[in-house]
Amino acid sequence: MARIELKDVGHCYGPAGGRLEDYALQPFSHVWEDGGAYALLGPSGCGKTTFLNIISGLVHPTRGRVLFDGRDVTALATAQRNIAQVFQFPVIYKTKTVHDNLAFPLRCRNVEETEIRRRVQEVAALLNLESSLKKPARQLTADAKQLISLGRGLVREDVAAILLDEPLTVIDPQQKWLLRRKLKEINTALKQTMVYVTHDQNEAMTFADHVAVMDQGKVMQIGTPQELFECPQHTFVGWFIGSPAMNILPCTVAEGGVMIKDKKVPLPALAKAAATAAGALELGIRPEFVQISDTPGAGALGVDIREIENLGNYNIVMLDLDGLEIKAKISVGNPLPDRKAFIRLPEKSTHIYASGQRLNPGT
Amino acid sequence: MLNLRHKYVFLLPGLLVLLAIILFPLLFTIRVSFSSWDVVMPGLDWFGGRNYTRMWADGRFWEAMQRLVMVAVSSVALQYVLGFSLALLVWRNIRMKRFFRVLFLVPMMTTPVIMTVIWRTIFHESLGPLNNFIEMLGLPAVPWLSTASTAVISLVIVEVWQWTPFMFLLLLAGLLSLPREPFQAAAIDGAGPVRTFFNVTMPLMAPISIGALIIRLIEASKIMETVYVLTAGGPGTATETASYYIYIRGLREFQIGYAAALSVTYLVLMIIALTIIAKILARIMILKD
Repeated sequence: MARIELKDVGHCYGPAGGRLEDYALQPFSHVWEDGGAYALLGPSGCGKTTFLNIISGLVHPTRGRVLFDGRDVTALATAQRNIAQVFQFPVIYKTKTVHDNLAFPLRCRNVEETEIRRRVQEVAALLNLESSLKKPARQLTADAKQLISLGRGLVREDVAAILLDEPLTVIDPQQKWLLRRKLKEINTALKQTMVYVTHDQNEAMTFADHVAVMDQGKVMQIGTPQELFECPQHTFVGWFIGSPAMNILPCTVAEGGVMIKDKKVPLPALAKAAATAAGALELGIRPEFVQISDTPGAGALGVDIREIENLGNYNIVMLDLDGLEIKAKISVGNPLPDRKAFIRLPEKSTHIYASGQRLNPGT
Repeated sequence: MLNLRHKYVFLLPGLLVLLAIILFPLLFTIRVSFSSWDVVMPGLDWFGGRNYTRMWADGRFWEAMQRLVMVAVSSVALQYVLGFSLALLVWRNIRMKRFFRVLFLVPMMTTPVIMTVIWRTIFHESLGPLNNFIEMLGLPAVPWLSTASTAVISLVIVEVWQWTPFMFLLLLAGLLSLPREPFQAAAIDGAGPVRTFFNVTMPLMAPISIGALIIRLIEASKIMETVYVLTAGGPGTATETASYYIYIRGLREFQIGYAAALSVTYLVLMIIALTIIAKILARIMILKD
């Protein structure tokens, strides 16, 4: 268990001292608090695994320092950092039984045999692996093998953090859900710092207390799932998180609001920030917050309903605003107008972005 | 209804070629082994099983078989150990990797006969550089090719020198195709190089190891040119292997019928032995999921 601190950490796979744009992981600083459940979320190739491998010591960062509980571990090898890592594909020792698999990290550290047996029993009980302890590990199912990989981390009491690199990729959907719950359970029970890498927003949002969204080697935003949903700091976050993605519409400054095409959206609180901002402006609103009605009124924008997609208990309504597509997510019970409709964008759920960055209404 | 006879018509050309290429020589050899064809009376007469009864009592043939087993097994085992060690050395990034890879392949690219001539010179008791070197170290000269035991050892040395690169190449390709995660997991678990080797590398390399060992055993059991050039089976019959002995009977003494009987026996024994070896290796090294 440890507090993990990253100070100006960045990595470049090419020669050191290259241009910053070539970095697989842009330099940044962050602190993972002890006992927290964190997720790294981003599309493939965004630097998540590099980030994780820097913490585990499999990759040495080109620049910056990694601190565990204030101790500088940047130069330490993987084994000395005392972390556990679960990989995308289950890694087990094929020739060993489940018991010997779980005992392996302790045997490597010359722990006494009675102590090993006690720890293995404890961890097996926690992971529901007791009945298969004597079986060869290779005969187990993929999800049980992932539990073994995890268990090899948990047997060490002093483990600093548990890193999970897309651990559910090869697991069946039904097992996925159970395993994810198990992971969450272990995190609450043992208070281990866990860092979970995934490209699946549902996994990240349900597992973690804090999610770091990454894109192209940059950490775009770190926050609670709710913050990421309600207040994306960057258009990428809005686009990547949520289903369907956030509506992002180009707009221009107007008196007391913004203009989308030639229609005015009144946003009194945001107008001032928008007026002084540099760069291309965009308006962002989640489909969940778009309100539809059949009557015009103050601040309502006239749109055409192009398509309605039924997804069980809610509809995705595709709207056309002078050629711009807007999606709205409406509960099935709510009546929908016929072809013409009017939408309202509530200001508290609407964000203005300048060059992709969110503008703070206060400034 | 589909006329099934058509398919045989379409298969016929292929089957005929197959028959001519593979089956005919084999069947012909079997037929010859029941004849007394030799240099005086060439022809396919019927000689009954007399070639086989003669072979049964031919101690020199069975000794040659035993020697073959010894030479093949010991040289292939050494090739495996050396080839694996070399592959492990160049596997991870080391300096001049490309240079070493090419260097290791030189023996395999040369013709066995030519290399054996060179080795015969190296082993030469009074003129060869090997004994010069041994004497420089203050040790007594070794009669490499003129006593029975040292001649067999020399033979094994040449075989190992020539074929270790092949092992090396196969095993290196195997190592390079292994996934990275098991090694990273072992590093995280705190395993040192020895533990990692026995718990990760070996189990992952088992299938390719078996393939490499079987291929080399098949090749090694055909050993012939090396014996021919290095010792000509001598001193006495000390380095005669099965195929070399068959060569003597068939192509020196022209006892074609008898040589055919030996060849057929050799073939049957090889098929049985290698099948059993492959099964055993697979059982030891590959674990069923």
